[in-house]
Amino acid sequence: MVILTVVFSLLLRSNIPNFPAFILMALLIWRFFQVATSQSLYSIVGNPSLVSSVYLPRALIVLSSNLANLFGSSIEFIVLLPLLFLLGVHPDIYAFFLPVIVLMEFVLIFAVSLLLASLNLKYRDVSQIWDIAIQLGFFLSPIVYDESSVPSRYKPLYSLNPITRLIEATRGLFLQQQLPNLYDLFIIFSVTGLILIAGLAVFQHLQITFAEEL
Amino acid sequence: MTILEHVGGLLTGSEGKSYEELWALKNIRFTLNHGESLGVFGPNGSGKSTLLKLLARVMRPDKGVVNCNGRVAAVLELGVGFHGDLTVKENAEVYGVIMGRSRSDMKLLEEPIIQFADLEKFQDTKLKHLSSGMHVRLAFSIAIESAADIFLIDEALAVGDLEFQEKCLEKFRQFKKEGKTIVLVSHSLKLITDFCEKGLYLLNGETKAFGTSTETTDLYLSDVRDGFPSVKA
Repeated sequence: MVILTVVFSLLLRSNIPNFPAFILMALLIWRFFQVATSQSLYSIVGNPSLVSSVYLPRALIVLSSNLANLFGSSIEFIVLLPLLFLLGVHPDIYAFFLPVIVLMEFVLIFAVSLLLASLNLKYRDVSQIWDIAIQLGFFLSPIVYDESSVPSRYKPLYSLNPITRLIEATRGLFLQQQLPNLYDLFIIFSVTGLILIAGLAVFQHLQITFAEEL
Repeated sequence: MTILEHVGGLLTGSEGKSYEELWALKNIRFTLNHGESLGVFGPNGSGKSTLLKLLARVMRPDKGVVNCNGRVAAVLELGVGFHGDLTVKENAEVYGVIMGRSRSDMKLLEEPIIQFADLEKFQDTKLKHLSSGMHVRLAFSIAIESAADIFLIDEALAVGDLEFQEKCLEKFRQFKKEGKTIVLVSHSLKLITDFCEKGLYLLNGETKAFGTSTETTDLYLSDVRDGFPSVKA
């Protein structure tokens, strides 16, 4: 976070007020997504005995990896949020809505993890591909810049990114003292829902041959 | 194949890899009734473990149907989910739940299991400090407590010291009296003839013989002695 602050507010000179607070919240949301999805890639591949030696619903293995990361990220949130006070941000009662946002992010992470964990077993380079996708995703989300900087040609497509909506919702809670608007919630729910359906379908289809691919 | 290889294959127009098909199991057809025990044996690579995996629903058959009526406890690998940094008690709880018991059941069963495994002294020790034989004793003690009607055991009885082996066999004899079904894969033909009524002799993925344990093991013994004439021909 310090590196990003230095690069963007001193070297590249962004004109966003209170830049550290601006990126802190986005980073917390982003890091949860990045770490949880990256670790889920190895949840099945890294536990061959849970797949080939016992009969377990395999989706539980992915869920358990995500839950472990939920725990870890929650601690990150709890530890770093007091920093916001130091940076001059005074969240109201609205801050208590944060767990709801984190919960929505968790469902998104689970949906994506189902896809990643099952695909990584079949095509072992999915983990490298995801590494690159995550780097791209970092810049496609308004972490170090504001959504308004996006050229209006790309705005409609850009705003469909659920991470963007989650980040904007979090910033709304803390910086503007307002609850997430309906647009944010609608995009988050519908895109997450679509990914969840795709994730469950792909996972169910691939899990039949998990024991053979390991 | 990785995605990179797939894409590379498309671009360079190469034919892709070719391979010879090998059916791990073919034309296997048998019925086992409740309360019967079956011993599965044969040379390495004959499909014994694959058969157990199909029965445990860990793998699905490409063709055909597998039917198991009743709860199945698969003891295919001892200590699935064991974690060295957890204590014996904690590992018992985790493994018990993985094998299908509820957490509350496991809380009650912890004591008798640790007693059966002779590990009372070590119940709060981290598993990584115990010997592999102790791991096996613990794993087996938990596995036999799964409330199942059908037990699938893959060459797992071979480990553990003599005293423990005898304890387990005693427990299995009790299971038989309770009408539970046991499928045992073993290289010990004596164990199979002593314990199982039926036998399945697998050779190269096919049923060489299915019948009483004595008949089938005798056939296997004569095949080994004569150098597997049916295959070499």
